Amino acid sequence: MRIVVCVKQVPGTHDAKIDPETKRIIREGIKAVINPFDTYALEAAVQIKEKHGGEVIVTTMGPPRAVTVLREGITVGADRGVLLSDRAFGGSDTWATSYALAKAVEKIGDVDLVICGKQAIDGDTAQVGPGIAAHLGWPQATYVMDVADITKQEIRAKRMHEDGWDLCSIKLPAVITVVKDINQPRVPTLKGRLAAEEKEIPTWSAEDIGADPVLIGLNGSPTRVVETNPPAGRDKKSVVLNGTAQENVRRLLQELRQRSLV
Amino acid sequence: MQEHLETGSYHVEILPPKQETEKIYADLDLFKNKYVRVMGSGYCACITDNAMGNLAFQGTEIIEELELEAPDRQVMIHLNTFHTKADLHRILDSCKSAGIRQLLVITGDGSDRLPRLAPAEVGAEGVEAVTSVELLKYIKETYPGDFDLGVAFNPYEPEDHEFAKLDRKLAAGATFAITQPIIERHPVVDRLLKEYPDLPVVIEAWMSKKISLLSEAVGYEIPEDTPYDPMENLKILHKNYPNCEVYLSILGFKTQYDRLPEVRNN
Repeated sequence: MRIVVCVKQVPGTHDAKIDPETKRIIREGIKAVINPFDTYALEAAVQIKEKHGGEVIVTTMGPPRAVTVLREGITVGADRGVLLSDRAFGGSDTWATSYALAKAVEKIGDVDLVICGKQAIDGDTAQVGPGIAAHLGWPQATYVMDVADITKQEIRAKRMHEDGWDLCSIKLPAVITVVKDINQPRVPTLKGRLAAEEKEIPTWSAEDIGADPVLIGLNGSPTRVVETNPPAGRDKKSVVLNGTAQENVRRLLQELRQRSLV
Repeated sequence: MQEHLETGSYHVEILPPKQETEKIYADLDLFKNKYVRVMGSGYCACITDNAMGNLAFQGTEIIEELELEAPDRQVMIHLNTFHTKADLHRILDSCKSAGIRQLLVITGDGSDRLPRLAPAEVGAEGVEAVTSVELLKYIKETYPGDFDLGVAFNPYEPEDHEFAKLDRKLAAGATFAITQPIIERHPVVDRLLKEYPDLPVVIEAWMSKKISLLSEAVGYEIPEDTPYDPMENLKILHKNYPNCEVYLSILGFKTQYDRLPEVRNN
């Protein structure tokens, strides 16, 4: 089983700022982290590998510094990483990005499964996973909360819905996107990190993956961000506890403990 | 623990490299340098566990990876409730095999990326979440006699509540306590020493000049420009609590470390 996990480097949540001119997120000089949803995708891939054997390859498209999220992937169990980095990719929207990632998957070859986090916390579109499936012409399942079973031919996965879940069977090769409920990502170990530091991570250009220049970067992006604004500040929330004294104390303690305040 | 307290040693807090570091080798070198200095001085190195919820590497794995010595009673590992059960046992087993006996068991600070022990995993019943009390009990039962278990004591919390909590911790297996940072003297610590004369108590000294950083710990705002001399405070703590060991947090290894013996002897 060969699994590719697509990850993204995103700004740390509290540091995100938007350039008023370009309407894009300012990434320079801001702490970058792995998209939190992608850590669940990585864990899902590594768990499948541990159970069924095979190989996990982590990939991302971004500037050279995005190599750090690939090392993070290797730290927690991916076997190798591939960085897609080229000025020609600059300005790609989700469609052009998913095209480039799909071309990388093709170049890697013999891939059975692509796993992505359900969405990135910067763009919040949830479009790249489905976009990769569309470009590859593969079936897909989004919002996967559990991999019930996987064989060389198919994957049976629970998809989360607002009111519950469904169990679907998808022929491989396929693309899935996963939600937080699927697992608890492992905490990286020092041994894993030091091993990741030693790994050679190749950088592939647009030419390396055989990307059509018309389909990447701004040229290949049918959408334009015309305006972006930070969200309005959240109001502080007050909760009135209306139960009995005993119920209220229990509820209050529960809330305080969840916040590690007691 | 009592024997160690009588040796006149310091407990020196050392923060392990953060997971997000981009210069892991340099950070490991720095950790090693501090650790080796602390060992050389005969002090006790206290290694934090994902302090403030910031993901960091575990002290035990660093000691193992760097093949550092852990002389008897010279290493203390902080251990909180934000681990999987498997990781918890890995840490405890590593401590055991490295000969590390001292653990500071705390509830700890969580984060989105950290798992948390579930009550059922540590055999705790009737609680919503695992706190230091349940973790202490579990370690004591699972590793009988292997560790000296320390707990935190916060004199800035409502007093009766904190003493009740301390009683629960002692009943669960705690054998020593470390306070939150104390400036000069604190009446609740005085009460602790008076009412628990057999409990070894380690007083924490805040060694950063930025005392405003303690605002959250003490529960009220300390203005940023508040003057504070940590070395002077350390001297006063020794004077006020002559029978207590001192835990040094945020210690400056470049500017303060070499001055510790003279402060101690004053």
